Amino acid sequence: MLARIGLDEAETARIGVELEKILDHISRLQQVDTSALTETAQVGELVNVMRDDVPEPPRGAAAALRNAPRSDGHHFVVGAIQANELDA
Amino acid sequence: MSSTRSSITELAARLRAGKTTPQQLLAGAMAHQKRVEPQLHAYLTSTTELAEQQAEAAALTLAEHPDSASPLCGIPMALKDVLCVQGVETTASSKVLTGFRPPYTATAVQRLFDAGAVCVGKTNCDEFAMGSSNENSAFGAAGNPWDVERVPGGSSGGSAATVGAGVVPYALGTDTGGSIRQPASLCGVVGFKPTYGRVSRYGLIAFASSLDQIGPLALSVEDCALVFAVIAGHDPRDSTSDPSPVEDPQPALGRGVDGLRLGVPREYFGAGIDAGVRGCVEDALHVLEAQGARLREVSLPSTEVALSTYYIIAPAECSSNLARYDGVRFGLREEQPSLTDMYLRTRAAGFGDEVKRRVMLGTYALSSGYYDAYYRQAQKVRTLIAAEFASVFESVDALVSPTSPTVAFTMGERDDPLSMYMCDVVTLPANLAGLPGISVPCGFIDSLPVGLQVLAPRFQDARVFQVANAYQRATDWHATRSPLADAAA
Repeated sequence: MLARIGLDEAETARIGVELEKILDHISRLQQVDTSALTETAQVGELVNVMRDDVPEPPRGAAAALRNAPRSDGHHFVVGAIQANELDA
Repeated sequence: MSSTRSSITELAARLRAGKTTPQQLLAGAMAHQKRVEPQLHAYLTSTTELAEQQAEAAALTLAEHPDSASPLCGIPMALKDVLCVQGVETTASSKVLTGFRPPYTATAVQRLFDAGAVCVGKTNCDEFAMGSSNENSAFGAAGNPWDVERVPGGSSGGSAATVGAGVVPYALGTDTGGSIRQPASLCGVVGFKPTYGRVSRYGLIAFASSLDQIGPLALSVEDCALVFAVIAGHDPRDSTSDPSPVEDPQPALGRGVDGLRLGVPREYFGAGIDAGVRGCVEDALHVLEAQGARLREVSLPSTEVALSTYYIIAPAECSSNLARYDGVRFGLREEQPSLTDMYLRTRAAGFGDEVKRRVMLGTYALSSGYYDAYYRQAQKVRTLIAAEFASVFESVDALVSPTSPTVAFTMGERDDPLSMYMCDVVTLPANLAGLPGISVPCGFIDSLPVGLQVLAPRFQDARVFQVANAYQRATDWHATRSPLADAAA
C-alpha cells in the first residue's frame, strides 16, 4: 500500500515470490560488520549548496498544465479527496 | 558517400573540407536508420523536423565560423529517452509517461544543441533506465547490431545499438549501475560514465539520484572525450553538480600508459565471469603491459556485497523519485471515483513489472522497522566500498577489468530478475563510489563483442581516457563493423 500500486491477486502472488528471492539474496548484507562505519548518502563533497535569491520569470500555469490529464485551465483537476480515504 | 561508422573527428574534418554538409550527413543517417530500424528498434521517437532545423543552423555556423565551431557542429546524434527535450515526447520507455512533452531541455542536451548537434531521435531503453537488456522497455526491446536476436544490453540499449549499427557516431546514455558501459560492451562501442557530479542531471528523468550520471556512447575513446568536454561542467540547476574546473581530456589522449600502475581487481575476474570474456580481457592487459603499464593484482573484498548494496540503495531512491507518477500533473491517468483508487490504478497500469518490483523493494527498505536493517546498513556498506576503492587508488593509478560477465545473450534468456541483476556486478561498484569509468571493445567471442572496463579515482576522468585510448591505439577492435553497419553498403 505504501508503494501505491494496485496489484491484482495473481500479480501479488507472482511479484511476492520474486521479491522474496531478491530479499533473500540481498540479506547477505546483514553479515557485514558496519559498527564502525558512518552512512554515505551521496559521494559528492558538496554540502549546503546555496544560490543567490534572485527571482526568475516563472514558466507559467499554461506550461505547467500542458501535460495534465485533466485541468480547468488554471488548476489540475482530480477526484474528490474524502477524509476516510486518507487512511486507506 | 555514406557516413556509416565514421567517427566524429572524421566527419568534422569532412564538413570543414567542404566534402559534405550537415544536411547530407543527416540525410545519410536517416536513410540508414530507415534501413536498419525495422530489425533494430533502437528509436522510440524520430525528431526529423528538429534535426532539419539544427542541420540548417549548423551549416550556417560552419560557413561563417569554421574554425571556432565545435567539432560536434553538424554531426548527427541521438538521445536516450530519459533526457528531456522541450516539446519533444519523452517517455523513459514507460507507458506512464506516454505523450509527455517536457517544458524544458536537459542541461547536457542543451550544451550539445548549443554546440551545433543534430538530434535524429530519442532512443529506446529499459523503463526508467531499470534493466540490463532493454527488455524492460514498455515499447519492445531494441536488438543488438551484431545479432538482432540478442539483447543490446541496458539500460541505454537503443543508444548503444544505433551507434553500433552506424546510424549516428554518438549518442547520450545514462549510467546508474552500468547502463552506459554494459550496453557499450555488448554492442562493440565505447561507453563513458563520468565522475558523479561532473555532468549536470538537470532535465534527466531521475531513477536513483545519488548514482545517475549522463555520458556518451561513441565509436572511439577520442569521440567520447569530445562529447564529454562539451557536456561536462558546473550547472547551478543541479545542486550535486561540482563547481571545480573540468580537466581538458584531450592532452591525456596522447599520453600513453608507460609507467602507469594499473590495478587488476581479483574479485572482478572471479566466479560468474565467462571464461572467454576473461581470456579476452587478459589479452588486453598484456597489450597494456606491452605499452609500458605496470600491472598489479589488487583486492576489493566488498565486491561480493556491492550488488546487494546497490539493490537496496537504487530501489530506495527510485521509490521516492517515482512517487511523482500519480496521474495528477502529467502522463497516464486511470480515472477512478476516488483519488486513492486513481493513484493505485494509474501506477498499476503505467509501470512495468521491473519498475513495480523496484518501487516495492525500495518502499520496503525505507519503511519504519526495516530502515535500519536495509537502507541504513546499505549506506554504511557503501562507505566501506568507497573506502576500499580509495585505499586501492593509493597504490595504483587506474583499475582494469571486464565490463560485463558475458557477451550479449538471447532475448528472453534471463527471465529471472536476480540473474539479470548479475549483469552489472562489475560495473555498479563504480556508481556506489561515484567513480568515472569506460568500456572499450577488446575482442570477440563467436562474433559477439567483449568490453574492457577502465576505472579511475573521482574527477580523474582524463585518466580513464588516457588508459582507454592507449589500448585503442594499439588495437583495432573498435573499428570492426557490425553486420548492420554494413547494411549501408
